Amino acid sequence: MKAVRNVTVLGANGTMGRNVAAIFASFGNANVFLVSRTLEKSEIAKEKAFLSVRAESIKDRMFPKDYKQLSECAAQSELIFEACAEDVTVKRSVHEMVAETIHSLPVDSAVEKIVCSGTSGLSITELAKIYEEPVRSHVIGMHFFNPPYQMTLCELTPTVYTDREFFESVMEYTKKTLLRTAVEVKDSPAFLGNRIGFQFINEAMRLAEKYKDNGGIDYIDAVFGSFTGRAMAPLVTANFVGLDVHKAIMDNLCENADDFARESFVIPQYAEHLVSEGKLGRKSGEGLYKTVLHKAGVKIHQVYDIVHSCYRETMNYTFPFSEEMISHLRVGSYDDAMKVLLRNHSAEAELCLENLLKYVLYALSAAESVGYNIHSADDVMATGFNWCPPPCHGTGFGRKRSISETVWGQNFRKMDVPAGTSKIVANDRTIEI
Amino acid sequence: MGKVYVLGGAQTDFERNWTKEGKNVIALLKEVIHDALEDVEISYDDIKRLNRENRIACFVGNFIGEDYVNQGHLGALLTEVSSAFYGVPSARYEAACASGSAAIDAAITKIQAGEYDLALVAGWELMKTVDSRTCGNILGKASYYEKEAYGIDFPFPKLFGKLAEETVKKYELDEKRYLSALAKISVINYSNAKRNPLAQTRKWFMDYEQACHRGTETNSQIGGLLAISDCSQVTDGAAVVILASEKMTKELGKQNTPLVKGYGHRNAPMLFEKKIDEDNDSAYILPWTRQAVADAYRRSHLTVDDIHVFETHDCFTSSEYAAISAFGITEPGREYEAVENGKIAFGGEKPVNPSGGLIGCGHPVGASGCRMFLDLYKQVSGKAGDYQVIKNGKYPENAVMLNIGGTATTNYVFVVGK
Repeated sequence: MKAVRNVTVLGANGTMGRNVAAIFASFGNANVFLVSRTLEKSEIAKEKAFLSVRAESIKDRMFPKDYKQLSECAAQSELIFEACAEDVTVKRSVHEMVAETIHSLPVDSAVEKIVCSGTSGLSITELAKIYEEPVRSHVIGMHFFNPPYQMTLCELTPTVYTDREFFESVMEYTKKTLLRTAVEVKDSPAFLGNRIGFQFINEAMRLAEKYKDNGGIDYIDAVFGSFTGRAMAPLVTANFVGLDVHKAIMDNLCENADDFARESFVIPQYAEHLVSEGKLGRKSGEGLYKTVLHKAGVKIHQVYDIVHSCYRETMNYTFPFSEEMISHLRVGSYDDAMKVLLRNHSAEAELCLENLLKYVLYALSAAESVGYNIHSADDVMATGFNWCPPPCHGTGFGRKRSISETVWGQNFRKMDVPAGTSKIVANDRTIEI
Repeated sequence: MGKVYVLGGAQTDFERNWTKEGKNVIALLKEVIHDALEDVEISYDDIKRLNRENRIACFVGNFIGEDYVNQGHLGALLTEVSSAFYGVPSARYEAACASGSAAIDAAITKIQAGEYDLALVAGWELMKTVDSRTCGNILGKASYYEKEAYGIDFPFPKLFGKLAEETVKKYELDEKRYLSALAKISVINYSNAKRNPLAQTRKWFMDYEQACHRGTETNSQIGGLLAISDCSQVTDGAAVVILASEKMTKELGKQNTPLVKGYGHRNAPMLFEKKIDEDNDSAYILPWTRQAVADAYRRSHLTVDDIHVFETHDCFTSSEYAAISAFGITEPGREYEAVENGKIAFGGEKPVNPSGGLIGCGHPVGASGCRMFLDLYKQVSGKAGDYQVIKNGKYPENAVMLNIGGTATTNYVFVVGK
C-alpha cells in the first residue's frame, strides 16, 4: 500500500462525508479533496468539517471541488472514499465515474489506489464488480459511525476479489494512523454493528407495540435504561438516528439476511406510519419522541402514544428492580446488580433480562456469521454505539470494557450458542428465542 | 531507615466520566483497588490478616472531594469499599494537586520508620460532577483564593499564563520561539498519550499547527499567552500504588522490585506574585521547585545523568517548560533547546511524560501524584506496554517525577529505581 497523502471524498457535503474527511485530514495528516455536486456545497462542508475534530488546523488541508474535477482529484489521490447517499443507483453511478477515471490511468498508478465505500449496508462485492482488475482487488468497504470523531468504530469489508496483503495494510493504516477501532467484517447486509444494534432497537420497537397499554415507547426505554449499560436508551437512539435510516437498515436485512432472527427485522406498523408521515425523529422535529417548547421557554418532552396515535408527555417510570440495580451500580457492586436482574420476577425485570439475553445471543450469532470472533461483537457495540458490549452483561454491566473470555459460566450456567440452538439457561430459567 | 519498595498498583481509565456512568466514588475506588490488589497479587483476606497484626495502613490523596462530590472524611471512606478495611489505619492527605504525593510521602515515612509493612496509597478526584466554570472556581482554592481567585473565571490558566509571561521576561526570550516550544510540549504530550491505553486524550486530535493556532474558535485563548491546547483537561480518575517494607517484599517472594531512592519536598510562597519577587535572586524561575529536585537527587545519590525517564506536572505547558531546567535537563533559560532538539520527546535522550502527562493522560488532581509514581514504577520494571521507554535495549534504571500543588507552591519529587 502506498502512503496515503491525498484523499478524495465523494459526497463530502453530507454529514458522514465531511466528518470522515476531517478524520483523514487530522489523524491521517492527508490533503483531502472535498467533492460534492457543487463547489459551493463543498465550501460549506469545509467550513463545518474542522469543527467535528475541533481543529482549525485541518482547514489548510481541505480543498473544495466538484464532480467536474473528479478525474484530477482521483488521479492525485492514493485513497478515494465514497460517502454518497445510501441509494444503490446513486452509489453505482458515482463508482462508475471513479472507475472510468482510474481505468484511464496507467496500470502502475491505477493499481496503487485504495477505493472505499462508506456504505452502511449495501453490497461491496457488487460495487467492486464495477471496476476491472487489477483495481477491483483494491475496492473495499470502510464503514464509519456517526459522529466518527467520538465513535471510533470502523468496519472494514473485503470482497472475494480483495488482495489480502493490501487489505491487511489498509487495516493497519486504519488502526495505527487513523486511530480507529478497525474490525474486519464480512460483506453482509448492514455489516456487524448495525446488524446487532438495530436488531436490538427493532426488538425494542416491537416490544413497545406489544406493551402499548403499559405505555409503549417510553415504557420500553425505561425497561432498558442506562442501568443496562446504554448511554442512550434504544428508542431514543432510533429517534436520534432517524426512523428512515432505521427502516432502510431493517428492510435491507429483511430482504437480504437469512438468519434465525429474521422475523425480528420487520418494523412495527406504527413506525411505518410515522415514517410515511415524515415523522422521522430528531431531524424532522418529531418521531418516536418530540420536544415542545412551551411559551414560558420550558422544554416539554413528549412521546408518541401508540394506542392513541398522538403525542403525550413522557412518564418517569421507575421499577423496584431498576432502582435496586441503579443503587448497586452506583457503588460499583456490579455482581449484586446482576443478581437483582436474575432474581427479580417482576414483569419488567423478566422482560429486561430476556431481551438482554437475546441481545447477547444474537450478538454472538452475528459475530460468528458476519464477524470473525466474539471480540468483534464487543468492539462494534462499545465503539459504534457506546453500548455495553454484549458479553459484559454476563459480568454484570460494571466495567466499560468487556472481558469476553471470563464471562461465561459466572452468571449463565449454560450457554448454548448459535449454530442451530437458540436457548439460554440462566439461573435455572430457560429463555427460548 | 528501612527501604521502601514499590510493588505495583493500578489506575482507572482516565477517559471515563463516572457521573455519566451513574457511578460514585465508591465504585471508582472499588475498581481501582481491585485492580491494584490483583496487580500485586494480594487479596482482601491478606489485608485482614495483616491488619490483625497492625502491619498495613492506607493513605488517601484527594484535593477537594468536599466541593466536587460533597464528601469529606476520605480516609475512613475506604471502609465502604470493602469490610477488609475495617480497623485499618487510614487518613486523607491534602496538598492541592500534589495531594497524591503527600499521601505517598506519609506512606513512605511510616514504612521507613518500621510502623507498617504494607501501604496502600489511593489518589483520586471526580471533577466531572460540576460544570467547567464551577470546576475552575473550585480549583482556584489551590491558590490564595481571596487574593488570586475570588471573582475570577478560570483563575489557574490565568496564573500559569502569568508564569509564561514571567518566563519570557526573566530570560528575555523571543516570545514566538517560546510559544512554539510550548506548542511542541503540548503536541509531545498528546502524541505520547496515543500509546497509553488509559489516557484521557488517546483518541483526541492535536498537531503542531493546531497548538500554534491560539485564539481561534477551536483553540481559544484562556489565560494570557496560553490557549486551550496549553492546558490539561478536567478529568475523573484514581490511581493506587502499593508500597512495602523489605520484610514484606521478602515475605511475598517478590524479586527485583523497584524501590524509592529519594524524595524532595519544598514549599514556595503561596502567592504567585511573591514567588516571582523572590526568584530575582535565582537563575531559576521556580527556585523551590528546583530545590525539591536537587534534594531528591542528593538523597538518592544520583544526578540528572543517571535519570532515564521523567514524569512531570504539565498542568499547563508553561509548567512543563519550567520543569525542564528544574530537572537539570538544560540550563535555566535554555529549556527551548530540549524541546526543539527532541531531547524530551518519547525517543529522545531524556523523555518527559511518556505517559502523556497531565495534558495527554489527564489530570484528576488528587490522583495525579499517584498516577505519576505508578508510571515511574511501570517504566523501571518494564511494564509500561506500548509507552515503555527502552534505552540501548534496556528498561530505564531510574525515573523521577515532579508533582506540584497550586502555582508550584507545593513541590514534591520522587525518584524510583532499581
